[in-house]
Parts: sequence; structure tokens; C-alpha cells
Amino acid sequence: MLTSNPATVDPIRRDTSSRRIGRFVRRHEEGVWRVSGRTASLLPVGALLFVVIVLAIKAWPAIKVNGFGFLTSTAWLPGNTYGGVEHVHGVMIPAGARYGAWPLIAGTLQTSAIAIIIALPISIGTAFALTERLPRWIAQPVGFFVEILAGIPSVLIGLWGVLVLGPFLAHDVYPIVANNVPNVPVLRYFAGSVGYGEGLLTSGLVLGLMIVPIIASTTRDLFLQVPPLPKEGAEALGMTDAEVARRVTIPWVRSGIIGATVLGLGRALGETIAVAMVSGSVLGAIAPNVYGTMTTIAATIVSQLDSAATDGTGFAVSTLAEAGLLLAVISIVVNLLARFIVGRSSRMSAPVGRS
Amino acid sequence: MEEVVRRDVDSNRIASLLTELDPDANRPANVIETNGLNLHFGPKAILNGVNMTFARGTITALIGPTGSGKSTFLRTINRMNDRVSGFRHEGDVLLDGQSIWAPSQDLLAIRRRVGMLFQRPNPFPMSIKDNVVAGVKAHGIAKGKQLDVVAEIRLREVGLWDAVKDRLNESPYRLSGGQQQLLCLARALAVGPEVLLLDEPTSALDPLSTESVENLMRTLTPALTLIVVTHNLGQARRVSDNTMFFYEGRLVEHGPTSQVFEHARETDTARYVNGLMG
Repeated sequence: MLTSNPATVDPIRRDTSSRRIGRFVRRHEEGVWRVSGRTASLLPVGALLFVVIVLAIKAWPAIKVNGFGFLTSTAWLPGNTYGGVEHVHGVMIPAGARYGAWPLIAGTLQTSAIAIIIALPISIGTAFALTERLPRWIAQPVGFFVEILAGIPSVLIGLWGVLVLGPFLAHDVYPIVANNVPNVPVLRYFAGSVGYGEGLLTSGLVLGLMIVPIIASTTRDLFLQVPPLPKEGAEALGMTDAEVARRVTIPWVRSGIIGATVLGLGRALGETIAVAMVSGSVLGAIAPNVYGTMTTIAATIVSQLDSAATDGTGFAVSTLAEAGLLLAVISIVVNLLARFIVGRSSRMSAPVGRS
Repeated sequence: MEEVVRRDVDSNRIASLLTELDPDANRPANVIETNGLNLHFGPKAILNGVNMTFARGTITALIGPTGSGKSTFLRTINRMNDRVSGFRHEGDVLLDGQSIWAPSQDLLAIRRRVGMLFQRPNPFPMSIKDNVVAGVKAHGIAKGKQLDVVAEIRLREVGLWDAVKDRLNESPYRLSGGQQQLLCLARALAVGPEVLLLDEPTSALDPLSTESVENLMRTLTPALTLIVVTHNLGQARRVSDNTMFFYEGRLVEHGPTSQVFEHARETDTARYVNGLMG
């Protein structure tokens, strides 16, 4: 068009504030990226520090009173919350209050160990089947379901554990196992009273089920990235499928599988509500066998917070904060340990993008 | 001196002794034979009516433009195509006179007898030594201390020993491409194959590494029979005894290498070997 309406201002000339910002961003692009990038990268660090510091402050009175005994004692006595108080190391606590977290620590580590022992082989098997064995038209929907399973709220899995899985196991599975295990170390813990389906093994199984999708879907994606040439090389050498998987495919992505396992382990260590529902929630005692009722740090925090709030001295809440701090420390230590393992095992693995 | 030796030797006796000692004496002269071999991927015909014999202890070069079917042909011989979806075959491939698809044949045993070297080096994610003996371990041929001996023998055989003897327990991925390919060759040789299939074995290598692989190929015969797919016509001329020319899913021509290159019967062959057709 040759003629233009003089009433409208040339939109290109108009200097709106958004244009000014745009110009500023363009002119200082490098700097903007650098500053926003650094800020964003510091956020997770800051968030972690904030959580740990707040927990530590809240837990400080409990740390002073409970001392190192907190890690080894099995007592869980809220004391007389409506009666007199004592003063220990300058902290006011209900008379007779004694706390020890050893059963919670043991329960947390035991359930998570059971979960990993069960979930890891199932996950790798599932990933292997999805990528190498099943035809595409089955593998795709199955893979989709695995991912859906990862998104199911844990309270639903806990409910299913209490209503269906626990009773089934206690009625139809545990007795058979308990009556047939030989009396040797480790297996000895599978003998004895099987209870009602709420306890250590049921919790471990439920946790295992919850972390299978996490490990399996990550491992599947890892397997898909293994280039075909080394696998073909192993096949051409006369290796069976199992040998190809064991000697080439899995080692190729070993550090990734360890990473996925740590992710699952983190979930298992911290999982709260499902465990609170199927563990039996027994405080102050370590399960005598794998069927025994118990509890974990996370489950204790959620199940005890309500009653802890009735402690006028605040000591019970402080103790729960100390337990939370302990859980954070356990998670961090497990992560660091896994990093150490990855560092050692990736010595032989291929550089990224290599075929 | 020569005179004395010649007079004392009974040539018939030597011949009979050699026959006795020759592990291949009672085997068919042709280690591989294909009879009316047709290959398909789904509805697509890849290769039609290939009749060919591979004499024991020879090197055969498979040449032809991309998509001519030569690689598919090669990968059929150790049944690498079996699991490719849609793969079908008609006709037969005989290994020492027995069909490779016969129900009595053990696939893993076939692959032990027919080894393979690929277009690009494909070391496994394990140490250099473990790479060499990976197949040996899988087939239970040797174990424990014997594995060290096997590794040394095979690494010496491919001329890699001096370069890697001080880092046998290190990752193979720090070796150069040529060294990696030699390592893969050592790995393939370690299980003691009769036939070695080479799928463009030097296409990813520099000229010097290519030369060392080509020299090795010569030293591997006549103990082994080599079948090599190559796009490098110079390589085909340098190393092979026989050449097969594939074009558009057919075996157009085959014969002694010098004949195929210098006196081709078919115009397509002549055009290809003279660089007039890619």
C-alpha cells in the first residue's frame, strides 16, 4: 500500500516498555543469561540448605537432650505430657520423655533394602523385555502402563497394600515360606510368626512396587540408547541373548542404572504414607522377623506429628525434626555413596555418543 | 646342500603326512556354498538367485554399489539377519556341506565357526584383555590363567601386543580407531573361527591402519577363509583372490579378482570397476 494513515503511529517507532525490556535483553544477552542461569542453578542448593538448616534449628533442643543415644536407643516414650516437666541440658521436656530412633533407622534401611533387592532385577528385566524382547505393538502400551504406575499416588498403593496385598500375603504366601525355610543365617528371619500382613516385608514389597516404574522406565530409555553395533558384535561372537545383556548392554549403561537405582532408593527411603499404612506403625521395637510390624523415620513423622503437637514443651516436635534431619542425612549419604560407586564403575564404560 | 636334501626327501611321504596333519583334509573344498539363495525383507526382494562357492583358505571380495545386496548377503552367512523383522530366505547356505538353517545346527556354534568384523570398531565396555577373551569365556573355551595366554597370543597375532601390553586392564575406548579395530579382530580370532566375514572393515580407518588390517588379512589365509565387503576397489584388488560383483540385487559376475577387474564379461561390472558407476 502506498498511502498510509497519518493518524496511526508507526508501530515500529513506538517505544513501549516491553520493547525497552526487549532491547535491554538483546543488548545484554550474555549478561542476562549468565545472571539468570546462575540464580536458577543456585536455587536447588539454597532450597536444600534452607530445609536442612530449619530442621537443624528445630531439632537443636532434641539433639542436646537425646545426645548420641538417639541413634542407638529403642525407647519411644513421650513422657507425661499433662504432668510435670524436667530440665535436661537447659531444655524443658515432659517428665519421663525418652526417645531413641534406632528402630526407625533400622526400619528405614531394611524396607529400602528389601525394595531395592526386589525392584532392581524386576526393573532391569522389564526394561530388557520392553526394548529387546516384546514386539513393538505390545512393548509400547506396556511401557505406557509402567509410566502410569509411576504416577499413581502412594496413598492408593498403600490402601491396596493394606486391603489386598497384605491379607493375601499373610494368608496365602507367608505361611508357606515361614514353614519351609531352613534354619540358617539370613533365611532364619523368614521363619516364625507371620502376623496379619502389616510389617517389614509387606512394606518392602509395596515400596519395591512403587520404585519399579522409576527404575524400569529410566533403564528402558538407557537401553534404547545403547548403539546396535557392540550388541551385534557380541551376537556375532556367538553369545546368547543373556550374555549380550550381561556383558555388553547392561555394562554399557551401568552408571545410568546406578543413577536410576539411587533415584528409586531415595523414593523408598523417604516414602511416607504407603509405609505408614502397611508397616503396622509399631514404635520402639525392631521387627523380630521379616513379617514383624515396625515403622520408618518418614512414617513415624507423619503418624506422630499430631500427638507430638500436644506436647506443650515442644520437645516431641523437636525430636521429630531431629528424626527428619537424620533422614535427610541418610539420603545424602546414600547419594554420595552411589556417586562414588558410579565414579568407580564408569572406568570401562564408553564415552557418550560412542558407537 | 640343496641336492642332498632333495634326494633324501620322499615327496609322496611328505604329501601323505601333510594330508594327515591337515585339519581341513576331510572337509569339503568349499567351506561355504550358496544354492539359489533369495533374500527378502518383507515384500522387498534384496537378493535373487545367488549360487556361489567359497573355496577354503581364500579371500573373496564382495563389491557393488550401495544397496546392491552384498552386505545383506554377508550377514546372512552367520545368520545375523534371522531376527531382522520381515527377513525371509529361499534356497540354502551350506557351511562345510551342512545347511546353516538345519534344525540340528546350533546357532551359537555357527557363529563361533563364522566370525565377523564390522564397519566400525565395536569394543565391548570392558577392559582390553576382557575384550579379547569375551568370546572365549562365553564359549567356555578357556578359563583362569589360560585367558591371559589366549589374550597375548591373539594380540600378538594382530600386532597389537606391544602397544597394549602395559594397559591390558584399561578401557579400550582410549585406543585409536585402528587399534580398536585390530582389537575386535583379535576378539573374533580368539574363538578360532573357520570363516571370517568382514563388513567394510576399514571404511572408518586411516590409510595406515587400513594397510595393517589388509596385511593381516593376507596372513590369516589359508588357515581362515575370508569374505570381505568393500567399497574400496583398490582394497578388493590388493587383498582378494576372487571377486563377486553385486548390482541391484543380483550377483552379476564373479571370478578371479584379476579377471573381474581386467576382463569383465559384463558391461555393468566393467563400468563399476572402472569407476564409471557408483
